[in-house]
Amino acid sequence: MITVVAGPCGAGKTTWILQELAQVSTPAVYVTPGVGTVPIDATRVAVRFPQVEIFHRQPETELLRRLAGGVPAYFEVGFQLEMDIPLLEARPHRRIALVADENREASWQLWADKVIHGNQSTLDLQSAQLWRAPLSGQVFDPPSLDIFWQELIQGAYGEVHRAKGIFELADGQAFHLDFVNSLPGSAYTELNLPRWVQGRPNRFSGIEVVGQGLDEGAIAATLKDCYLSDSLLAAHQATLRDSLSLEAS
Amino acid sequence: MNIAVLSCIHGNLEALEAVLREIDRQPVDQLYCLGDLVGYGPYPNEVVARIHELDIPTCQGCWDEDIVDGLNACDCSYPSLLAETRGRLAHEWTNREVSPETRTYLASLPLTLRQDTLCFVHGSPHSQHEYLLPDTSAFIALERVLATGADTLFCGHTHVPYVRNLENSRLTLKVASPSTHPSTHSATPLPSLKRIINAGSVGEPRHGRPNATYVIYNTDTQQAELREVEYDYTKTCAAILEKGLPAIFAWRLSKGLEYAEKTDDPTHVCER
Repeated sequence: MITVVAGPCGAGKTTWILQELAQVSTPAVYVTPGVGTVPIDATRVAVRFPQVEIFHRQPETELLRRLAGGVPAYFEVGFQLEMDIPLLEARPHRRIALVADENREASWQLWADKVIHGNQSTLDLQSAQLWRAPLSGQVFDPPSLDIFWQELIQGAYGEVHRAKGIFELADGQAFHLDFVNSLPGSAYTELNLPRWVQGRPNRFSGIEVVGQGLDEGAIAATLKDCYLSDSLLAAHQATLRDSLSLEAS
Repeated sequence: MNIAVLSCIHGNLEALEAVLREIDRQPVDQLYCLGDLVGYGPYPNEVVARIHELDIPTCQGCWDEDIVDGLNACDCSYPSLLAETRGRLAHEWTNREVSPETRTYLASLPLTLRQDTLCFVHGSPHSQHEYLLPDTSAFIALERVLATGADTLFCGHTHVPYVRNLENSRLTLKVASPSTHPSTHSATPLPSLKRIINAGSVGEPRHGRPNATYVIYNTDTQQAELREVEYDYTKTCAAILEKGLPAIFAWRLSKGLEYAEKTDDPTHVCER
């Protein structure tokens, strides 16, 4: 079964797919087109379900092969993308729309086989800005990241409707941060990954912000002020390795 | 006798003028200022000139000291890399901006002021940089008050106003020795109530609103009134942008979040 999931920005598409994948016992495929070098949702899915094969930049032929094999596949269509996927034109698939009651326009009913209640979105698509940045290799000072994140979601750098990211922290852990302006607060989730205790992490991390009037330069500059330098990172990691070896002994 | 105590103006002339206007309407006999006249805000020279002109007894704050002696802070000042970067930017800007007269005035300020059983400091009697937070351990808080010989210690620096009564105070000393001698105890009940009164901040509040705060204290009734004053903070925000200070300072001021995050660790003892 191929499932295409669409919905407004921050509706809860990835969360819904994660809930579905939790019930799939066979190998499965997750496809997230149009995310370029910042596959935040794909990384979240891959960490939670290592058996799920992720497609976001791989050649189409590989994906077609999996689809032909009948593997359960979930396509997550970003709010900024066309909902009709040419690759699926001749293939049977079900269409799920995650939409809040306040956002239930006729077009969703026409497109979807099933409309499920999602988070409300107040984003004006005409003036919406989407800003992404890969952060791989960068490690954050936790209190600095917290200050930055609070400033970001409270509007210091423009009106933010949605922000999410994967960040490497000084203690070797990676966290997923998630903000939707129609929901209270932010979700901070530790990713189930080994602690990175030596050198700069070479796994993915990155940030995506959706909003209006975003000062992208200021966001990028503030993020840089939260990075650990090589010497600070080495000092943190040396302490971390010592404490981990003490725990192990 | 009513005294008004203000602190942490941080170059915010608009807030200072609003507080002074409010004090003018109150039955206040004497003003004291607990320092941090400069730093972060756009009008360091003007604030210093105003305090000097009014001849308000003022003690030296950590920012005032840093402008005179250069940056030399421990973790008290910068709990994060981001706060440190912003603090340094503000220090460098202020250091370029201040006039020789301002610098001379800041250098002349005493670390403590006394009036009868009242003592006035910026952070703590130990250091202008040390935070006496509302939840700092009672032992440290009491030790800091006793060190001054006063009953009431006025401080600022935290940017959050509070009154803390150190009631039923009893200082217990225990001397333990590895030798065979038994340890000795000495418990001294303190004869009078000890208090810490924090005046908050005129120019850089941290209580979630942009309003200035200060304290009026009646020396006869020993009542402290924490006062909050609205002012046109948007003028200060505009001046921050106009003068080339980081735009984030204007945003944080408008939210009552301070210009840069400060420590909130009550267990930290200044190592400076």
